[in-house]
Amino acid sequence: MLALLGNVVLIAYACATGLSLAYLVQREEIVHRLASLATLAGWIAHSIVLIALVVETGRPPLGGLPQAVSTAVWVVVLLMMLVERQYKMPALGAFVLPVVVILSLKASAARPAALEQIGLAFRGAWVWVHIALAMIGIAAFVLNFAGAVMYLLQERTLKAKRTGAFYYRLPDLQTLDRLTYRTLALGFPFLTTGLILGVVWARTAWGSVLTFDPLASLSFVAWVIYAATLAGRAVAGLHGRRAAYFAVFGFGVLVLTLGAGFFLPGRHGT
Amino acid sequence: MALFVAGLNHRTAPVALREQLAVEEDKLRELIRDVHATGVAREAVLISTCNRVEVYALAEAPGEARAAIFRRLCQHRGVDLGAVEPHLYTHEEGEAVRHAFRVAASLDSMMVGEPQILGQVKDAFALAQACETVGPTLHTLFSQAFAVAKKVRTETDIARHAVSVSFAAVELAKKIFAGLQGRAVLLVGAGKMSELAAKHLVDQGAFPIYVVNRTWARAQEMARALSGTALPFGELDVALGSVDIVVTSTGAPEPVIRRELVQTVMHERRGRPLFFIDIAVPRDVEAAVETLADVYCYDIDDLKQVVDANLRERAREAQRAEALVDREVAKFAARLRDVEVVPTIVSLRERLEAIRSAELKRALARVPGAPAETREAMEALSSAIVNKILHAPITKLRESSRAGAGRSWTTLVQELFGLGRPS
Repeated sequence: MLALLGNVVLIAYACATGLSLAYLVQREEIVHRLASLATLAGWIAHSIVLIALVVETGRPPLGGLPQAVSTAVWVVVLLMMLVERQYKMPALGAFVLPVVVILSLKASAARPAALEQIGLAFRGAWVWVHIALAMIGIAAFVLNFAGAVMYLLQERTLKAKRTGAFYYRLPDLQTLDRLTYRTLALGFPFLTTGLILGVVWARTAWGSVLTFDPLASLSFVAWVIYAATLAGRAVAGLHGRRAAYFAVFGFGVLVLTLGAGFFLPGRHGT
Repeated sequence: MALFVAGLNHRTAPVALREQLAVEEDKLRELIRDVHATGVAREAVLISTCNRVEVYALAEAPGEARAAIFRRLCQHRGVDLGAVEPHLYTHEEGEAVRHAFRVAASLDSMMVGEPQILGQVKDAFALAQACETVGPTLHTLFSQAFAVAKKVRTETDIARHAVSVSFAAVELAKKIFAGLQGRAVLLVGAGKMSELAAKHLVDQGAFPIYVVNRTWARAQEMARALSGTALPFGELDVALGSVDIVVTSTGAPEPVIRRELVQTVMHERRGRPLFFIDIAVPRDVEAAVETLADVYCYDIDDLKQVVDANLRERAREAQRAEALVDREVAKFAARLRDVEVVPTIVSLRERLEAIRSAELKRALARVPGAPAETREAMEALSSAIVNKILHAPITKLRESSRAGAGRSWTTLVQELFGLGRPS
């Protein structure tokens, strides 16, 4: 039953993606409405799946990387719906939802690790906080990435003086730059605290922070990129196109980080 | 009784003729009363703008009514009816409905999507209402036409994109800045075109406005017109640092805004974008300027290109609007037919109710001492009989109107019950 509902979530998100992309080109209001509806339907089904998971296992829906990513996706979709309303940015879905679908595919394809194996490492509340914070951070960075991509496309369109789908559908540059900045400012503290807790946890659980773990190492690289971007924005007047490149780069590393967690053996992997 | 529209517009008649026929409001009032008084049309609305003169009417014999109305119109304006006749179009029933919807939604306009026409149609309708020439049919028609026009505006992007160069500049500025509220504008040169663009920017909340010009007097004049500030030409560099949008339109043979200048300025702006709208030919802004980060530079050709794209966009949206109108026409046809039978149903009810209450009163007068229960029973009895009798004919009228045969049935019912003409 739960597996079936999981498929419903995936299908709804996939439909929403298709409709959002179609809306970019087609610009029919009804297409956008359907896309929003599919997104909301997917998100509600997703919420039910997560609640059922909590009820079933009696712990947060963060046990193992696939579950954690699935929860991150849930946060992404929630944030996306809020931002879309707040900034009146109907094109946002076309840039966030493809990432959502890819992450969901990954999350549902990999079956969670055997419970007893997780159980060993998961004693203590701090590890849940570590995962939760990291996932909220990642969710914010998905939107950060989408904002940056939209900025780059709109900037190119305006510089090249092309009037196409992007010109008509994407919001203005300042709004996009602001969105990218704000999502960075939102995600960074979560990611930072999440990583610190991870390090502390590793010390208490394994007695050392220095043992090699692919996900941990790469997430540190991503953190450095985001830290540099944030510092640059706050102090050195970094903005616009260059800041957007940083956001895309940072997200690329973040995706590698998750990939490492999924595919390479380590403490986060299965 | 048939609904029709007859008239001429920018497609069927040359401007010379439209000019001659266009009627001012005072005359329009007189004319519409005149037309109505002749009795050829039961309801009438007359629209007269520079692009169209048309009459919507409900008449027994549309052909006759049309001829009578335009004869009068031509007399009023001193035009030969023979000259007008070949340019007239007539649409009846469903097609008339479609025409009304298309006109109100600005799909029949010279510049498709222009916003004025809806207001003009509303004024014409209000005028006809004031002259008491609007009945239930035209009332339903026009209320629905206004609703459809609104729907077209909100559900399609028909009027969303700029179709003039100066508006295109505003639209572009809105793609760069998050709103134009409080954006400072600098005008370099004081041409008419840049004044127009500046006016549009001011309308969107841009403020303050600075003007630099080689001729100081002209700079001051323009600054006054825009409630801005005139600056000496030498302060161009300083001004560039503090404004967001620059509109250039000097007659200078060489660019007045060079890359090096803008580069220095951009350094101080710390990433705030700068938008150049270069309306001058030859151009005032050096081509290399746009290679700088955060600088956007559109010359007159670029703006025209945006306008062209917007026009294509508008044509595309117009297609969607037409489809929407088609759907609305189909929906409305059913309603209009109901409107046709409703007055008959109402007068039928009224007639029977009048008979019932008169007879009841008479019967009660004959039994003065009757107890309250008896009176109530008689009241209930008479009402029940009337309602039972009414049920079948009313149902039949409603059904027939939906099947499109309302007219013959209303006539029949009117004859049978001696209802006369419902007004």
